[in-house]
Amino acid sequence: MGCSSSLPDRSPGRVGGLNPDNGGDSDAKNLRVKLVLLGDSGVGKSCIVLRFVRGQFDPTSKVTVGASFLSQTIALQDSTTVKFEIWDTAGQERYAALAPLYYRGAAVGVIVYDITNPDSFHKAQYWVKELQKHGSPDIVLALVGNKADLQEKREVSVQAGIEYAEKNGMFFIETSAKTADNINQLFEEIAKRLPRPSPS
Amino acid sequence: MYTTQKKMVIPFEIQTEITILRPSIHARRANLVVKFQDLYGFTVEGNVDDVNILNEVREKVREQGKAWWAMEANKGANWYFHTYASSIALTSSLRFSVLVNAMTLKKLIRKGIPPSLRPKVWFSLSGAAKKKSTVPDSYYDDLTGAVSDKITPATKQIDHDLPRTFPGHPWLDTPAGHAAVRRVLVGYSFRDSDVGYCQGLNYVAAMLLLVMKTEEEAFWMLAVLLENVLVSDCYTDNLSGCHVEQRVFKDLLTKKCPRLSTHLETMGFDVSLVATEWFLCLFSKSLPSETTMRVWDVLFYEGAKVLFNVALAIFKMKEEELLMTHSVGDVIKIIQDTTHHLFDPDELLTVAFDKLNFMTTNLSKQRKKQETVVMAELDQRLRRLNTSKLRVNG
Repeated sequence: MGCSSSLPDRSPGRVGGLNPDNGGDSDAKNLRVKLVLLGDSGVGKSCIVLRFVRGQFDPTSKVTVGASFLSQTIALQDSTTVKFEIWDTAGQERYAALAPLYYRGAAVGVIVYDITNPDSFHKAQYWVKELQKHGSPDIVLALVGNKADLQEKREVSVQAGIEYAEKNGMFFIETSAKTADNINQLFEEIAKRLPRPSPS
Repeated sequence: MYTTQKKMVIPFEIQTEITILRPSIHARRANLVVKFQDLYGFTVEGNVDDVNILNEVREKVREQGKAWWAMEANKGANWYFHTYASSIALTSSLRFSVLVNAMTLKKLIRKGIPPSLRPKVWFSLSGAAKKKSTVPDSYYDDLTGAVSDKITPATKQIDHDLPRTFPGHPWLDTPAGHAAVRRVLVGYSFRDSDVGYCQGLNYVAAMLLLVMKTEEEAFWMLAVLLENVLVSDCYTDNLSGCHVEQRVFKDLLTKKCPRLSTHLETMGFDVSLVATEWFLCLFSKSLPSETTMRVWDVLFYEGAKVLFNVALAIFKMKEEELLMTHSVGDVIKIIQDTTHHLFDPDELLTVAFDKLNFMTTNLSKQRKKQETVVMAELDQRLRRLNTSKLRVNG
C-alpha cells in the first residue's frame, strides 16, 4: 500500500557501513542522509514516519520521548537509492534544548505543522529560523502541513504555507499520514533536491 | 492484602499465564514472530523462545514470592520496613541484626519483589507512605476534586497524550484507565507547577497505577519519585536535571567502557540519543514490563544511581557487537533490539549489579560538576535564540 516506491531496508545497493561519518553521502548512486523531523507536539510527526517506513497509519502511536530513530530506503527513477536515517523528535516545548543533538549534521530538516492548528504553524516558523541559523549550511528544508484530510477543520490556508515556504526557500507540501496522501511524494521530492556528490 | 484501601481499586489482574494471542503450529519451527500478553497485560511481539522465557520468569517470580513469604513468617509482616527505618536511624550504632536484615533485604530486592507484594513494599520503602502521612487523609481527593475542571497547558497536553500512552493495553487504554492516569497526572501538575506535566511522566504514572492498583498510592509514588528518589529538575521546564544525568552517564561510560566510548564518539553517537528516553521514562518505554518493574524495585530502595547501573549494563552486554558498528543507525538498532527483548530481568540485573562495580564514583560530586556546565549551556542556548529572534524581526 502506502510505500509502493520504497525498498526494504536491506536493498542490495545499500552502502551501510562504508561511511563512518554520520549522515554523509555514500556515493553518487547510493545516498545515505540524516533527516530530522521537528514541530509542535501532536502534529503527526511520528505518524508521517510510520506511514513512510511501515506503510501503516497508527491512530494511536505512542508519545515520543526524546526522539525515535527509523530508517527507510527509496529508489528513484534514475536508479539511485536514498537511505533516509530519520530522527523523529519529541514535540513538547521543554524538549527543544535537545534538538541540536538531532539536527546536528542533518542533511534534511522536515518541519511539520497541523493545518487545523495555527499555533503549530507559528511553532513551525520558530523551527525554520533555528535550522536556518544553526543547522548545516546546505540543509534541505521542507515545510509540511499535515492532517490535510481534515479540510473542514482547516485553519491554516494552503496559501499561507506556500508563501512562507517560498520566502524561506523551502519545499512545501500538504500531507495526510492518515490517508497516505503525499507521504511518499514528500520523501521523493526531498530526495530529488539533495545535493549529489560528483561521481568519482 | 491491599484491598483495604478506600480508593477505587483498579480491576486489573497480573496475568497468571503468558498466552500467545496468535498461536501458530509453524511458529516454533520457523522462529516466527508471535504476539502475546506479558505479566502486566502488554501485548508484545517476540518469538516462541521469548514466550518460554517469560513463562520461566513467571515461575521464578513465584519462587521468589515464597522467599518473601518465608521472611514475613519468620520476622513479621512489616520486617522490611522496620529494617529500613532502623538502618536509617541507627547509622552510627548499627546493631548486627539490623545490618544482617538490611543486607538480606537489599539482596532480596535485587532478586525481585513478587508482584503481589510490590505495592506494599514500594509504598513503605520508597518513603511514599511517610510523605502521605504528613498531610491530611483527604489530600488526594481534595486536590483532584479541586482541579478537575481547570484547564492549563499541562492539562491540555495530558489530554492529548492519554490515548497515546500505552495504546491497546486492556485496562490503561479504556475510558476508566485514561481517567485514572489523567487524575494522577493533573493532580501532580498542580502539586508541583514547576514540573507541571512532562511527556514521559504519562508512561511512569500508568505503570505506577498498574502496580499500586489505587490512584492515591500511585500519586504518592509519583510524588516521592520526583521529589526524593530522582535528582531534582529532571522534568522541569528545561529538563536540566535530565541533562546533568546524561552527562554523568556519558562520563561513566567513558570510564567503564573506554574502547566503546571512543568508538561511539568517532561515529558521532551521543549516548543521549538513547538514554534520554531511558532516564525520563525510567525504562518503561524500552524494557518489557516485568523487567522494568524489577529495575524499579531496586530504584525505589537504592535510589537514582540505579538508572546508571542499568543503562551501563545495556551497553556492556552488547559491547562487542557495538564495537563492530559503522553508523549511528546500527548502534540504535542493536540497542533497541536488545532492550525490547530483555524478557529475563535477571539477565540484565546480574550485569547491572554483580558484574559492574562502578559505584566507586562519587556521583554527587560528578553531578555538581556537570550541573554548572549544563546550566551554562542552557543559558547560552537561550541567549543565542533570543539574539537570532531579534535579527529575524529586525
